[in-house]
Amino acid sequence: MALTQKQEGNAPILSVSNLNLHYGDAHALKGINLDMVRHQVTAFIGPSGCGKSTLLRCFNRMNDLVESARIDGSIRFNGDEVNESSTDVIALRRRIGMVFQQSNPFPKSIYENIVYGLRIAGVNDKSTLDEAVERSLKSAAIWNEVKDRLNESALGLSGGQAQRICIARAIAVNPEIILMDEPCSALDPISTLKIEELIEELKNKYTIVIVTHNMQQAARVSDVTAFFYLGELIEAGGTRKIFTNPEKKQTEDYITGRFG
Amino acid sequence: MVKKVIDKSRRNDRLAELLIRVGGLLVIVSVVWILVMISRVALPLFYPSSAKIAATVKLPAAIAAGTVLAIGSEESQRGVFTLDDTGTFHFLNVADGTVSASIKVPAVPEGAVRVASAEYTGKTLYNLLWDNGAITSVSVALSSVRNADGTVSLSHDVTGQDGLSLGASSGVVQSFARLVEDKGTVRIDRLAGDRLRVTHQLVEKDLLGNEKRSSASTDITDPLPGHLSAVAVDSKGHYLYGGTDTGWLLRWDISEPGQIRLLDSVSASEEHKGITSLALVLGDVSVAVGDAGGSLTTWFPVKVSGSGEDRRLTRIHTLRSTVGAVSRIIPSPRDKTLFSGDAGEIHVDHMTSERNLLTIKTAASVNRVALSPKGNTLAVLDGANSLTVWKMDIPHPEISFGTLFGKVWYEGYDKPEYSWQSSAANDDFEPKMSLVPLVFGTIKATICAMLFAVPLALLAALYTSQFMSPKLKGRVKPVVEIMAAIPSVVIGFLAGIWLAPLIDKSILTVFTSVVIVPFMLLITIFFWKRMKTASPLQRTARGHEFIAMALVVILGFYSAFLLSGLAEVHLFAGDFKQWLFSTLGVRYDQRNSIIIAIALGFAVIPIIFTIAEDAISNVPRNLTAASLALGASRWQTAWRVVLPSALPGVFSAVMIGFGRAIGETMIVLMATGNTPVMSWSLFNGLRSLSANIAVEIPEAPLNSSLYRVLFLSAVLLFIFTFIINTVAEALRQRFRKKYGRY
Repeated sequence: MALTQKQEGNAPILSVSNLNLHYGDAHALKGINLDMVRHQVTAFIGPSGCGKSTLLRCFNRMNDLVESARIDGSIRFNGDEVNESSTDVIALRRRIGMVFQQSNPFPKSIYENIVYGLRIAGVNDKSTLDEAVERSLKSAAIWNEVKDRLNESALGLSGGQAQRICIARAIAVNPEIILMDEPCSALDPISTLKIEELIEELKNKYTIVIVTHNMQQAARVSDVTAFFYLGELIEAGGTRKIFTNPEKKQTEDYITGRFG
Repeated sequence: MVKKVIDKSRRNDRLAELLIRVGGLLVIVSVVWILVMISRVALPLFYPSSAKIAATVKLPAAIAAGTVLAIGSEESQRGVFTLDDTGTFHFLNVADGTVSASIKVPAVPEGAVRVASAEYTGKTLYNLLWDNGAITSVSVALSSVRNADGTVSLSHDVTGQDGLSLGASSGVVQSFARLVEDKGTVRIDRLAGDRLRVTHQLVEKDLLGNEKRSSASTDITDPLPGHLSAVAVDSKGHYLYGGTDTGWLLRWDISEPGQIRLLDSVSASEEHKGITSLALVLGDVSVAVGDAGGSLTTWFPVKVSGSGEDRRLTRIHTLRSTVGAVSRIIPSPRDKTLFSGDAGEIHVDHMTSERNLLTIKTAASVNRVALSPKGNTLAVLDGANSLTVWKMDIPHPEISFGTLFGKVWYEGYDKPEYSWQSSAANDDFEPKMSLVPLVFGTIKATICAMLFAVPLALLAALYTSQFMSPKLKGRVKPVVEIMAAIPSVVIGFLAGIWLAPLIDKSILTVFTSVVIVPFMLLITIFFWKRMKTASPLQRTARGHEFIAMALVVILGFYSAFLLSGLAEVHLFAGDFKQWLFSTLGVRYDQRNSIIIAIALGFAVIPIIFTIAEDAISNVPRNLTAASLALGASRWQTAWRVVLPSALPGVFSAVMIGFGRAIGETMIVLMATGNTPVMSWSLFNGLRSLSANIAVEIPEAPLNSSLYRVLFLSAVLLFIFTFIINTVAEALRQRFRKKYGRY
């Protein structure tokens, strides 16, 4: 497997080794080994059902919600084991934020959406919250669009705006990693472009892992690309290398559009 | 081909639309129809009364020549009769004014020649006072009979009554005679010079059947505040009432021979208008007082505060105020309606409801007025010897908005009250039909049930939807839904027969467990958190925590039971209910609001649970996921994201439960004791509108006041639920706008 350290020389922030995941009898992830590097954008590509979203959800233990999921192997986040039962899942999820495929703002005001993560952590100081709202909305490049209607319901926003609100909500708690599960698949091209620009911005502060169906998007935004097929990691490496000179035949077939 | 398919689906669309529209309209129409049908039964309660002249008979000269002492009529306005001073009753055909018979009283007392006056004493009876002071009683029966050939003829009869026959007496102005139960007779003579004399004729029988007669005569010597202007005696001969020309009302107890006591002496008129007439209202409790100022008031003895059991005559109802003096008061023989006459008018008022029912215009000078025994025919003899027969239709005199929804001062009560008591054993009983205690009962039952059911059902729905393992959820939900299928009569039966005695025995346990069970749950949760981090129990137990909790709850109840036993002995002197009564003055009913809260709550829990659970489960997973991904615990997610999102649905669930509880009949009927009391105490029973209808409608005579009031309460129930549902739907729409789509 191509290791990403080579390109940056940094210690991996997330390190997956020999990870297997079963949904009941189905073997969804098969012996995955992969490292992700700080302040880089890692893109997971692959056809539907290849396990890329499942892997993403392993990082913040969202698979806990699935009754039948069984995981073995190791995921280390800053050197700490994620899969340990003693791991504080709540603390973990605070440090690894997530943005979902469908924008999912809470049926609350824009302001309350952004401060939700802080409120549940017990932060109720008005000035801290105000400051966090402005900072994260600015980081998510939506401050100018919503600053005058922070107390209106977030349900009235357009799809692209709502998705950026969700990103702002995720970064309001200052995570180290942002996981993005096909964040643009439900958006129009202009909104998609905005999100992609945003990802470029965010990578200076956060480490980003993005699952995408759109290979152009992966090529545009990511530094590292990992190709999955039928639960296996086929190939991972620098994005430029994967898209121009893949090592594996399957990768080349997928990228050139022969299947998928 | 494609066109065909499109046409077909278009046709199906149209058909479906039509069906739905027709169905919806049918529902609306049938609901409105039901409401209209119910209202139509209730509406006559508020119909106005009417009176019309059935006939006018010019009395034949032969009769008019003598003084007419009394007149009478019968129900169908076909016949009337007059009594002249020879003691002869003349029966007249109303249709043609002919005399169909003249019958003289069968027995004329010795030494008597003429009848001085006649007193109608109810039903068909008249007391005749003869010129020598003797009194006899006579029964006059007049009725119309339908013959075989279809014609109608009058049947009449005059019979002497042996029981009441009193000897001669001199100087009598006015006289009353009554049969006294088991004692004999009493006669009250009003003598010249404002004197009253009470004479008891006692008949005592010993065991061998020998009669011993004795007599006791007492002159009333109490000084009168003015001149005596009116006198009345109740039908049992217990109380004597007198009115003076200075407006004072007096009452004597004459029930003990030889011991006449003045009980009351009150000023009945502020302006000291003389009392012109007195009459006892049906039931002999209230006395109606008419004065020279034209005001008609009714009085009865009321317990006076601070004087123990002492009761004083008190003005209760003020019925009318006109200019002319009230010259006569005729109480209805059927209810508490009073007919009062002055020059030119007869007013018909109902005492309790204080409704002015009718005003009948008469000639300026009226000699005699009489009501038929059923109270529906009024005969008026004017100064021109013309006898007018009025047919009256007074549908429901005792019902008014005031009596249905306001406080009413009923006879024998110490103050105005809301009261429901529709029937009793005796005939002169006055039905009390205030809907307020029933509305109160309905609201109390519903509130108690909701206080019990809503927290349980909603928390259960939240737990089942958000925390329980999906496998178990798949079992729990259908089971709870089956709970909804238990017939309410079964729940009511169990509540009344099993639960009520159980709680009766261990009422204190109910209270201790309310404290102890939650306390023990909290402690367990505290330790559970410790246990969870330490052991691998965590994953296996997830979604099954409630099993442990169930054990804790059972343990909690058991310790509450033990504790209540201790508490009862040490704090409440061994008997909590006794302590409750003696210390707080709270009476404990076996069928009380705690029972109804549990039983009715049990009935509405499934419906609230199911709908709320659906609403909560319909909150999309990606909202929950978003919250969890932000580091929220499951409880935080449920409380801050899921519940607010599901609020419109949860609110609907509560309101549907509320609607169900308000209309629920069987459980309330069987578990509340059906006592129409107005008390917020949890230890008292209640009677709800719906249960009241179920209890009373089999007993209510068709088209009676009770029958119609019950229908009115059905309309009220209908309006209640309609308002609640409308408000609920409006609120739900608002919540929906505010909190989102689910």
